[in-house]
Amino acid sequence: MHSHYVLKRLLQIIPTFLAVMLVVFLLVRLLPGDPASAILGDRATADIVERTNRQLGLDQPLPTQFALFVWNLLQGNLGDSISLKVPVLRLIGERLPVTLFLTVYAAALGLLLAVPLAVLAAVRRNTWVDALIRGVFQVGLSLPVFYVALQLLTLLGARLGWFPIGGYGSGTLGHLYHLFLPALTLGLNLAAVLVRTLRNSVIEVITAEYVEFARAKGLRPRLIMTRHVLRNALIPTVTLLGLNIGALIGGAVITETVFAIPGVGRLMVDAIFGRDYPVIQGLTLTFAVIVSLVFLMTDLIHARLDPRTELS
Amino acid sequence: MKRLTRVTLTLAAALVCGQALAVTRGGQLVYGRYADSLFLDPVLNDANLDIWILTNLYDTLLQPTADGKGVQPGLASRYTVSKDGKVMTLTLRSGLKFADGSALTAQDVKWSLDRARQPDAGAWSSSLASITSVTASGSTVTLNLKTPDPTLPAALATFNAAIMPQKLFTAAPGKNDAEKAKAFAEKPIGSGPFVLSEWKRGSYMVLKRNPYYWKKGEDGKALPYLDSVRFEIIPDDNTRILKLQAGELQGAEFIPLSRVAELRGNPRLNMTLFPSTKVNSILMNNRPTLKDGTVNPLSDVKVRQALNYATNKQALIQVVTYGTGKEMKSYMSSTTPLFDASAKGYPYDLAKAKALLASSKFKSGFDVTVLATSGSADDLALLTALQQMWGAIGVRLKIEQLDAATKTARYRANDFQMRTAAWTNDINDPSQITSYYALFSNIESVHTGFKSSEVDKLFAQSQQETSRVKRASQYRAIQNIYLNAAPIIYLYETPYPVALAKNVRGFVQIPLGNNIFAGASLEK
Repeated sequence: MHSHYVLKRLLQIIPTFLAVMLVVFLLVRLLPGDPASAILGDRATADIVERTNRQLGLDQPLPTQFALFVWNLLQGNLGDSISLKVPVLRLIGERLPVTLFLTVYAAALGLLLAVPLAVLAAVRRNTWVDALIRGVFQVGLSLPVFYVALQLLTLLGARLGWFPIGGYGSGTLGHLYHLFLPALTLGLNLAAVLVRTLRNSVIEVITAEYVEFARAKGLRPRLIMTRHVLRNALIPTVTLLGLNIGALIGGAVITETVFAIPGVGRLMVDAIFGRDYPVIQGLTLTFAVIVSLVFLMTDLIHARLDPRTELS
Repeated sequence: MKRLTRVTLTLAAALVCGQALAVTRGGQLVYGRYADSLFLDPVLNDANLDIWILTNLYDTLLQPTADGKGVQPGLASRYTVSKDGKVMTLTLRSGLKFADGSALTAQDVKWSLDRARQPDAGAWSSSLASITSVTASGSTVTLNLKTPDPTLPAALATFNAAIMPQKLFTAAPGKNDAEKAKAFAEKPIGSGPFVLSEWKRGSYMVLKRNPYYWKKGEDGKALPYLDSVRFEIIPDDNTRILKLQAGELQGAEFIPLSRVAELRGNPRLNMTLFPSTKVNSILMNNRPTLKDGTVNPLSDVKVRQALNYATNKQALIQVVTYGTGKEMKSYMSSTTPLFDASAKGYPYDLAKAKALLASSKFKSGFDVTVLATSGSADDLALLTALQQMWGAIGVRLKIEQLDAATKTARYRANDFQMRTAAWTNDINDPSQITSYYALFSNIESVHTGFKSSEVDKLFAQSQQETSRVKRASQYRAIQNIYLNAAPIIYLYETPYPVALAKNVRGFVQIPLGNNIFAGASLEK
């Protein structure tokens, strides 16, 4: 397809990563509080803190530490977690699939909700149906994620007993079942963002001349909707979705805590509070990779939907 | 015939009673924890998240008693101390085994204690510092001491003195002790009631019954009663409680004190408040000037006493701990051995507070800043209440909220005026908290800067005092000196709130925080 373009974009990612790494490397070290104090807590004596810092190599000058970090990175080694004492790569390997599963699941639920409702709102624009759909999602958007999460847990989990309260489950079906409520929480939030844009672009397309023309030709309304309207209306939505996938992964932090899901979001929170430098660096790098790839994919899908786009 | 009937009936009744009393064996208890363990090596760690679980995996020679007041036999069935107090001899039980079925020998004991007492071994090596050498022969272990050490039995009942299998540990991959520890702690083998069978970090941990455990249950058969314990990691308090209410958990720890009354009203739950060694106080910087050079009103003992008298503990206990706390009268908890039961603490006395402040150099009141942990509802409730209380004597309290690591950094640099703090003991002896709270030479008396040559002298004596009566009087004097100097604001002691399903029996969280599942069972 656009293999040349893809390769070029992938190569461009490398300097971005280096910049991201340098910034994160410096930022975490600028935070007050060091890992030794964080693991050892309030009771540690100065001697023990110093000894721990030495063992962790944190007594070295910053350029040395950064050089060592990049050198290890080139060999595919992200270092060991300071508090958990296991390789960061293994931690990410264990936790990332969980978050990705949740993100994809949430995006799917979000789209399943957003697309038909947005089309319905557009077709019935300025009626009570349109007002209701927009109103509900407007409210949904203004509710904090943790609140929606807790309400869903209390109602569908504890009171009705339809879904397990938190956890990850085992096997794909188990994951789908256990992650339904958190995915729905995130999906609702995502749908709220998408519905508004998608509704407006559907309206824009419906009233465009070529659709009028298709209608005049006598094409079936359903065909017009799927082949002409949706295809064009989805273009801005795909971009918006791409942008929101990054936000979803970030937003998983709260959802993962409330729903007790062992993903990277929670790992990141723990790492920041514990000043676990290698884990923070490893995760930031991973997030940077994912976001870059999602953006790349967004551009490719965009090009596919809109032949006028030039990839260069 | 009649007689036979009676005998039969009696027998039948006895059988029925016997069955009713018998403990049910088997089953899995699912327990919700607020955070996962980090690293399961008893020597190279210092996090409660590990310590409170380690005792289920590794056994110690002696064990803390459930009331927190003393020690009882563990792997060692008995111990004797020589007349001069410088030799301690321990006798191991016969037929001890590790969870893999291999024998636990005196050599394992020697090796484990030698590893734990190396000066570089973790933050805890000092608890075994009085030992100069360990010898092992047959089932006897002899500890030779520099000086008599009354804290040693308690130290031998503490997690870092856990007995580990020397052969398995040294066979673990790795170049040095730290690397071997990393590898071994992935799949640790100890001689505790349970053995780790599965661990998905951040998600769950399963402990299986150790079939070789030495301790017997009420039915005369080996403990533990349960087949397994599964720890689910659920950081959110509400979610943990919801899961418990839905029956997905049979136990949940760290129930917020604000929810205790509600859960007590749930007929399917047994809301338990286990006595703890937790003391909550406000640490004050006692130094004449602050880090930025400004004059520090808290350097005046009258000011510190005035603030203590102006603190209405009973009101705080109602507001912050929802009635579950208990007034703190010594820097150590009332569950700590040698706690001075006659200590008066600082009863609420506004008139006295005003008089003390009036006789100080800061008559017209002053501003004071306290560091709080951001996101802690308890800290905020406490400090806003104190704002009101201290406002009555003209002291204006300002709250600075920081994340825990930043707060620790400021504290370690002595860059604070006041900070909220909580403490729990790890050892069944008052020496640990005393060395932290009252000895400048350790961490400047929890960074307050409190210094007393009298306390230093008494503490040094108490560390070698073999008479419990004399030691108690030394500790009474230390607690009294500390109280009068008031380097901290005495607040309250709080319990460990654990909610259990009604059918859970025999679970204990001891005052040191260790969760003891060995005697827990799930009744039908």
